[in-house]
Amino acid sequence: MEHSNVTVASSRLMAAGAAILGTSVFADSGLEHYRGSFRNPGMVLPIATSAIAVPLNMRRSMGSAARPGLGRAVDLVASIVGMAGFGFHLRNIGREPGGFRLINLFYKAPLGAPGAMVLTGLLGRASRRLQLGRPSPFTAKAFGAITVAGLVGTVAEAGLLHFRGAFHNPAMWLPLAVPPLASLSFARDLALGQPTGATRMLLGATAGLGLVGSAFHAYGIARNMGGWRNWRQNILAGPPLPAPPSFTGLAIAALGVMLLLPKRRRHD
Amino acid sequence: MAEASDSVRCAGGRAPDVFSTEGWVPMNEYGEDEVDFVIVGTGAGGAPLAAKLAEAGFSVIAMDAGPFWRPLSDFASDEMHQSKLYWTDERIVDGENPIHMGANNSGRSVGGSTVHFAMVSLRFRPEHFKTRTKLGYGVDWPIDWQEMWDYYREVEQELHISGPVRYPWGPKRPRYPLRPHPLNAAAHHLVRGAEGLGIDWTETPLATLSAPVGKAHPCVYRGFCVTGCSTNAKQSALVTWIPRALKAGAEIRDLAMVGKIECNARGRASGVHYHRNGEWHFQKARNVVVAGYAVETPRLLLNSANGDHPEGLANSSGLLGKNLMVQLNQAAWGQAEEEIRSYKAPPSLAITEHWNYCDEGKDYFGGWTYMSQGPLPTKWATSLAGGRKLWGRPLLEEMERANHSVGLKMVGEVLPHEDNRVTLSDETDQHGLRIPRITFSLRDNEKAMIRHALDFMQSSLEASGARDIWKETDDTCHLGGTARMGDDPATSVVNADCRSWDIPNLWVCDGSVFPTVGGVNPSLTIQAIACRTADRIVEMGRKGEL
Repeated sequence: MEHSNVTVASSRLMAAGAAILGTSVFADSGLEHYRGSFRNPGMVLPIATSAIAVPLNMRRSMGSAARPGLGRAVDLVASIVGMAGFGFHLRNIGREPGGFRLINLFYKAPLGAPGAMVLTGLLGRASRRLQLGRPSPFTAKAFGAITVAGLVGTVAEAGLLHFRGAFHNPAMWLPLAVPPLASLSFARDLALGQPTGATRMLLGATAGLGLVGSAFHAYGIARNMGGWRNWRQNILAGPPLPAPPSFTGLAIAALGVMLLLPKRRRHD
Repeated sequence: MAEASDSVRCAGGRAPDVFSTEGWVPMNEYGEDEVDFVIVGTGAGGAPLAAKLAEAGFSVIAMDAGPFWRPLSDFASDEMHQSKLYWTDERIVDGENPIHMGANNSGRSVGGSTVHFAMVSLRFRPEHFKTRTKLGYGVDWPIDWQEMWDYYREVEQELHISGPVRYPWGPKRPRYPLRPHPLNAAAHHLVRGAEGLGIDWTETPLATLSAPVGKAHPCVYRGFCVTGCSTNAKQSALVTWIPRALKAGAEIRDLAMVGKIECNARGRASGVHYHRNGEWHFQKARNVVVAGYAVETPRLLLNSANGDHPEGLANSSGLLGKNLMVQLNQAAWGQAEEEIRSYKAPPSLAITEHWNYCDEGKDYFGGWTYMSQGPLPTKWATSLAGGRKLWGRPLLEEMERANHSVGLKMVGEVLPHEDNRVTLSDETDQHGLRIPRITFSLRDNEKAMIRHALDFMQSSLEASGARDIWKETDDTCHLGGTARMGDDPATSVVNADCRSWDIPNLWVCDGSVFPTVGGVNPSLTIQAIACRTADRIVEMGRKGEL
């Protein structure tokens, strides 16, 4: 019984992570693609997909296992839209004068962002898999690897864009400090097959940092001409308000995977 | 609220707070007491000097003939209105190529012409400090490039220059404090052209913020940079060095036109006569620094002639006012299929310094660079009417497709020549001061450079797909050279420390000390020289050599 409770809890945390990540994708791609005037009709896809994936994963996080067929389709579509988005963003940068020079990686379509859509689909799928029963240790580790990869990608994205902002606020170093430590610690736990308190603490800090990050970005928006009074312009020009909670979603999903790792030290 | 141009704002122990719409900051006032330094001019030369000397503990008064603006409330999105930033007093221009004075070569504001400069912040090519020795033309600077490299760094830090992560030309330089701005469509044409012609390009190092700094907002790409930035993203002297100077205890006197430097019986400068609030005053000073740029600086020194110095102060070499240099500012323009709207964002986002660093394939001396362009509508109409001689219906039709116009403009080196000079006319201005006569002619070397540059820029535009290309052959920008620095009192006006050879407590600190102007915009170099001069003065003060 205990095992299945743990598996259920893990499933719900994974779904919660997917829901938060999906919400971040919904708001971020909504704002950024609006800023890009939906020049390509495909730019509505991540908004539409996440609009369905978020409530689905919210229901999963509350324990619902209804309509698995629809769930599978949504997870699949989210991953495909994410991968297609990566392709579109790659093309957007590549055909810009200067190609893959840093200036275009800074300012053209962000390469890492569509990855969050892929991860939303994968985490949703993992949550669904856990609804069906305890996975093998290998599968658990694979789920862990997905969240680590997600964290690494998000760190890279924050690193690139904070470098673009010349780390003008020392707090901009935080996403390059806390989540990498959490990822390393978590990866070690996965490799050794046993959870540690340090990892749990670091993942908790990463989850919190995602929310703190949005608060910092709100402050960053205020530092643009006209501040929040000129919100319609500055929400688009300033740091992306919905981006940092990606860390929260991924850290919560990782905490879910942690539950699947055996608690007792093995003496063999 | 009174317009700054009408009434003195620096008074009553306070000066305008440039980061507010109507606020104030406290300001020291020295009254008529003798101060350590009076600095005439508060632009790229005077402002850094005022800040650094005040921070070193000297008593400093910096005077400017122009008003003290608050950009947030005083600057309009209107080219004609903003011409209030230019120095448009009466001057006589002659020679074969009379210089058009005003917009891109002089300013009348606290902060000087940095209030309306294009923010392009480039370092000289190292060899351009020793052109005579290394490249066989012009004259050598008395300062080494490696020393300048450190001062460039200091200014780049102070102005939070946003620039490329790696600069393609010259010796390694430290990373710019801020990252480059995104490129606009006009810059993309430079990029595609350069790649088509197989030369390097990069994002232009610019003195406008790409991230918030203190109370200054990042650039909003409004595009009115050269008519005055109303958001304070532009790092003019007005919003950088001047607040620093005020904080350190310097006094700024706005709307104070200095007419004459007084000398005492011992042959030393004793202070300045200046016109403010409708009357003449005298300010005593232990040192006088002239920082009025390459026309007003020699004008003031010539106007200050006295019995001991009948040809003007600091003019024993006879070179004061001579070797006036501008920079070549010719352009090639074309039409693009797609919409360009080149006036959006800072005007010169992309640059190539290829022809500053490449000496092969030239039938002339000197270097030049070219940048993408973003003229505002009135300026564009003026170029079409004046440079292309369009009028009436053709002008209207061309203006209708202004959003598709795209162009490249050079900044090219002019060689020093003694016949290009500033002298005094017999006519006088509203203060009764003799007005300058500015004589300038292009020589064969410049004409050869213009030919090469225009052809090359045309090739670049063709390579980037522009059509209907035409050449704007007659424009100049920037000034330099009328009080050159050097190692020899016989061939220069000031020494490497900007100290005049003739009068030890008289200094010149602005673009007029340039022996050669190089192929880059001068503002960063002027500020670097000012920082160096301040350090040298502090050092000399410590040793009792002032």
